[in-house]
Amino acid sequence: MKKLALLSLASVVFCVGCASTKNKPATAPSDGKSAVTGKSTVAADDLDTYGSVASVPDPLQPVNRVTFWINHQVYTYLLKPVAKGYKFIIPEKGREAIHNAFENIKFPVRFTNHVLQGDLKGAGQETGAFLVNSTVGVAGLGRPARHMPAFADLRPTDTAQTFAKWGIPNGFYFVIPLIGPTTLRDGVGLAGDWALNPITWCGYIWGQPLWYIAIPAANTMRSMPVQLDVYDAATKDSVDRYLAARDAYIQYRNEINSR
Amino acid sequence: MKPSALLTLCAALIALALPAMAQTPAEQRVRSTNDDIIAIAVKVPNNEVLIQKVRPVLEKNVSFAAMTRRAIGPGWRTFTPEQQKKAISLFTDLIIRRYAGRYTIGERPEVSYKAPTTPAPGRAEIPTQVLYKGSRYEVIYRSEQSEDWRITDLVVEGVSLVGNYRSQFDAAFRKGGAEAVLNALTNAVNNPQ
Repeated sequence: MKKLALLSLASVVFCVGCASTKNKPATAPSDGKSAVTGKSTVAADDLDTYGSVASVPDPLQPVNRVTFWINHQVYTYLLKPVAKGYKFIIPEKGREAIHNAFENIKFPVRFTNHVLQGDLKGAGQETGAFLVNSTVGVAGLGRPARHMPAFADLRPTDTAQTFAKWGIPNGFYFVIPLIGPTTLRDGVGLAGDWALNPITWCGYIWGQPLWYIAIPAANTMRSMPVQLDVYDAATKDSVDRYLAARDAYIQYRNEINSR
Repeated sequence: MKPSALLTLCAALIALALPAMAQTPAEQRVRSTNDDIIAIAVKVPNNEVLIQKVRPVLEKNVSFAAMTRRAIGPGWRTFTPEQQKKAISLFTDLIIRRYAGRYTIGERPEVSYKAPTTPAPGRAEIPTQVLYKGSRYEVIYRSEQSEDWRITDLVVEGVSLVGNYRSQFDAAFRKGGAEAVLNALTNAVNNPQ
């Protein structure tokens, strides 16, 4: 539990530090003419991209590019074959069920962040969906709540989104070895998600290798094919793979934070 | 058939027809483009054939010229007419490959359309939800009116395709102007990743 407490402390310190710094807009128009930002606003310039191009400072770009390159090699030559093997061994329905169950277990991540964002309706819906999926959906292997109108407008949430909603700026962009794109804010958010995920706790509660090795390993395994598909979708047929991934990450996070 | 059943059938038909009648030209265009592409996609054996077959459909319904111009941004003005032509041609190839090359043959996407919006005169956004391979994606089709309505951008889960390329072309343009952009494009087209 010590590590956990230390981590929470670190995030609190970080939050306080950030909250006192001036809030900068996360997006900036790249041509300097389209002064409007947001997803549905339009500038008069014929060359605009319907609003703005997302941007975030990237002072570590040379280092990030190296990490990104190494990640790419690892994805391509190690993780993709592993994911392929996993897909071969476990049929699609099975993978989906495993994926669902691990997502369902992450309930505290979603619940806590709805509460931290003051969204009690979301927290309530999340609880309802969790109960339905855990019972009717048999320990979350199925997701019956997905088809219920009561949970139709349930939005995705995580700790990074909470920080964004609190007005904490991105800081700067960086690439985490193996994990990939993030920003300073979102990186701390990831640590928050990790701390709130029961998968993390079980290793601390039951000090058996099954709990701190096998379960997290299965968790990584089930998310790998999904993550690699996203990586491919964002970077294949790009002109500069690094910039394509960075921009896609920032645009996607801006969208999540606006929900 | 019982009269009540007939009545139900009529009501159902009317209910189906009503939203169809209310469709804007921009939305109709997106719907027909998607329908045409899905019709082709279920028949082709592989992605290479799909790339060839969808090209005429996309060229008819997507304004690649507007897409290229926007993706390149303000630097576009410094392109000579020949350079502009070359950029449009290369970018068209790249986008068609990106679009059709990613399709998993045999997987049929289910597209549900939501109410379109008009962010500005001559522009339309058609929000959709696409169910594909068990996952749901929020996809917005952006369209613009020139002579007729053409698709000009695709926003998948908040990520604008044009915006994404803009961030890449901006960097190339700052480094070496139009030539650097064309080189980067040529390289991407010739070396599929």
